[in-house]
Amino acid sequence: MSTVSTLASDGPAIAAGLWHPPHSSRAIPARLVDIGGSLTVLSDEDDEKDKRLAWGIRSDIEISPRVGSVPRRIVFGNESVFETRDNDAVDAYLQGRGEKRSGFVHRLEIVRPRMIAFAVATIVLASVIYHYALPGLVEVAVLVTPPVVPEIMSAGTLKTLDQTALSPSKLPEDRRKDISDRFEKIASQAEGGAGRYKLNFRDGGIIGPNAFALPDGNLVLTDQLVDLAGNDTEMITAVLGHEIGHVEYKHSLRQLYRAAGVAGLVMLIAGDVGSGVQDVLTQGGGLLALSYSRSAEAQADRRSVELMQAAGMDPTALSRFFDTLETKLNDHSDTSMLSTHPGTPERKQAILDYARELRDKKVQS
Amino acid sequence: MAVVEKSYPVGENRSFQCASFGGNAKEYFGIWIVNVLLTIVTLGVYSAWAKVRRNRYFYGNTALLGHTFEYHAKGKQIFIGRLIVFGFLIVTQIVTTVAPLAALIVTPLLILAFPWFLMRGLRFNARVTSYRNVRFDFVGTYGGAFKAIFLGGLVTIFSVGILAPIAARWFYRYVFDNLRYGDRPFSTNPTLGAFYKALGVAIAVALIGLVVLAGLAFAISGTSPEAAMSGSMGRVSVWHWAIIGFVIVYAVAGLFYRAMVRNIVWSATMIDRRHSLLSDLSRRRYAWIAISNVIVTFATLGLMRPWAAVRLQRYLAEHTAIHVDGDIGVVIDQVRSSGGVISAEYLDVDGFDFGF
Repeated sequence: MSTVSTLASDGPAIAAGLWHPPHSSRAIPARLVDIGGSLTVLSDEDDEKDKRLAWGIRSDIEISPRVGSVPRRIVFGNESVFETRDNDAVDAYLQGRGEKRSGFVHRLEIVRPRMIAFAVATIVLASVIYHYALPGLVEVAVLVTPPVVPEIMSAGTLKTLDQTALSPSKLPEDRRKDISDRFEKIASQAEGGAGRYKLNFRDGGIIGPNAFALPDGNLVLTDQLVDLAGNDTEMITAVLGHEIGHVEYKHSLRQLYRAAGVAGLVMLIAGDVGSGVQDVLTQGGGLLALSYSRSAEAQADRRSVELMQAAGMDPTALSRFFDTLETKLNDHSDTSMLSTHPGTPERKQAILDYARELRDKKVQS
Repeated sequence: MAVVEKSYPVGENRSFQCASFGGNAKEYFGIWIVNVLLTIVTLGVYSAWAKVRRNRYFYGNTALLGHTFEYHAKGKQIFIGRLIVFGFLIVTQIVTTVAPLAALIVTPLLILAFPWFLMRGLRFNARVTSYRNVRFDFVGTYGGAFKAIFLGGLVTIFSVGILAPIAARWFYRYVFDNLRYGDRPFSTNPTLGAFYKALGVAIAVALIGLVVLAGLAFAISGTSPEAAMSGSMGRVSVWHWAIIGFVIVYAVAGLFYRAMVRNIVWSATMIDRRHSLLSDLSRRRYAWIAISNVIVTFATLGLMRPWAAVRLQRYLAEHTAIHVDGDIGVVIDQVRSSGGVISAEYLDVDGFDFGF
């Protein structure tokens, strides 16, 4: 025991560690003792053995909450700090004083079998959010989005496409007029009337046979798709009806919000934002959400059936389009994803079923 | 904790001492899963406290010369900071929705505010970090941030990216020259040539990747474009794959660049003009760790995320070293002794990897 000690009794040391004077990087090897209920730091340095460095009653002392096994900091009233790696000893001492050992959160964090339950709960909760909360939030966001947003989204897109992939249409005038007339028929049945939708003819270039819609109601139809359709103008009209469906249901806006939501969810869960991993995760998640979901496609398919029927054309024309795609595209390319795309036969069947359903309704009414 | 000692013969036989990371995936898994769970249950509110626990774990396990770092921010502080930013965004959103023309005023304001946010974020992160009981500080000004971001950005744009390294150099000098450890200044003087080399390597990697991608895309071509705007007939097209491929190429190039820039900047940094830092990441190894981390994380529904985070941090720590010239001596904490009120610091910029 010390000979210079001015203390009545040196209790056993609680923990050994380092003591820093206030605001200083000096570090003095020291130990923490409890002397008559007040915490005291005694030096362990050779020339100043047992010198009292800091002391205080518990209420003036801040003990940092425990995180894993990182060093524990005990801050005294004069802002000097005692730092120790002996977390368990500090916890045991606090428990002996009748305080909570190390905080509720830390006790949760200790790896035990119940972690499996935590992991399962986390995955379940995350998927519940993804399946239920996210679509709800997306609907709310779509509702409060001012109409100017789709305009902004679309402005420039067509221009950019024109400068890159697309070029002016080479279709004969009468063919174009034929398609436009039929398009007017279904567009006038659609939400917002014919004035809301504008059909643009383009040469698809590398894009090939395709039709797509921009959120502001601009539709693009490529010459290649018209060629593919041969003389079946009704089929082209059905495809355009499908695209009108995308515009009406605001699918691209929903998609955008969903991508943002997924990115947000990833950020929330992955935590430490800022690593390269994080960027890839967030962007990857957003991109994955950027493909039209199957339900959106099915919705647009049904809309095509409705519009075609309302305009007095063949409601099942769209299913012919899938047939055409399968036969014609496979003739000259084995790598077409259509042949391997499992959804196509199901989509055809769904269109036929829905058309029948509509017809039955009509007969009844 | 054992401090790994590596000696690098750097010309004048200076010996560098590596940092080390003592955390492990199992222990961090417990912290992480509770963070995620409580964050979800509290609808995101707990994320501020989660961040504190995460950072305390990572800082407190990163040791340099036998001492660990410490993160002092309080959950409430970060939460208030996030509320401020969130409220700010909501208000601007409402204003621009009600009066679309207001966007003409709000947007420039946002742009002008950005350097300020960055400056405050750097200051926050510096001031809540300590080493051996002495806090870091950041004394950069708004003007400096403005120059580092906007002039740098303008120079980059007007030179079509040719002068981007100048902007990068400005930026890192702004960050490190204004950093303080107690009363000891940091200073960094990376050469322009090194930045040009890093950019050149990244561009070369990206170009090679894009050529390969383009070849693949044309080989499989014949389907449809999927700009984010347009729906074709709902097929997953070549373009989807092209986009995903592009993201991967971009990620590899970006990670190479990041590793190289970190090496350049850290190795050119001195503390107190005497003690030098060193970073020697291998860019391939770094990119491999980052990308395989993502793959493993996805494949395990995110459950291996703690392992991935610990793995990356360990790699970064073990490739960061310091050479102490003589004795650091006693450093006095300027932030607290000068009465700087840290509790009034609210703005924390996420995603800035300051410190180790």
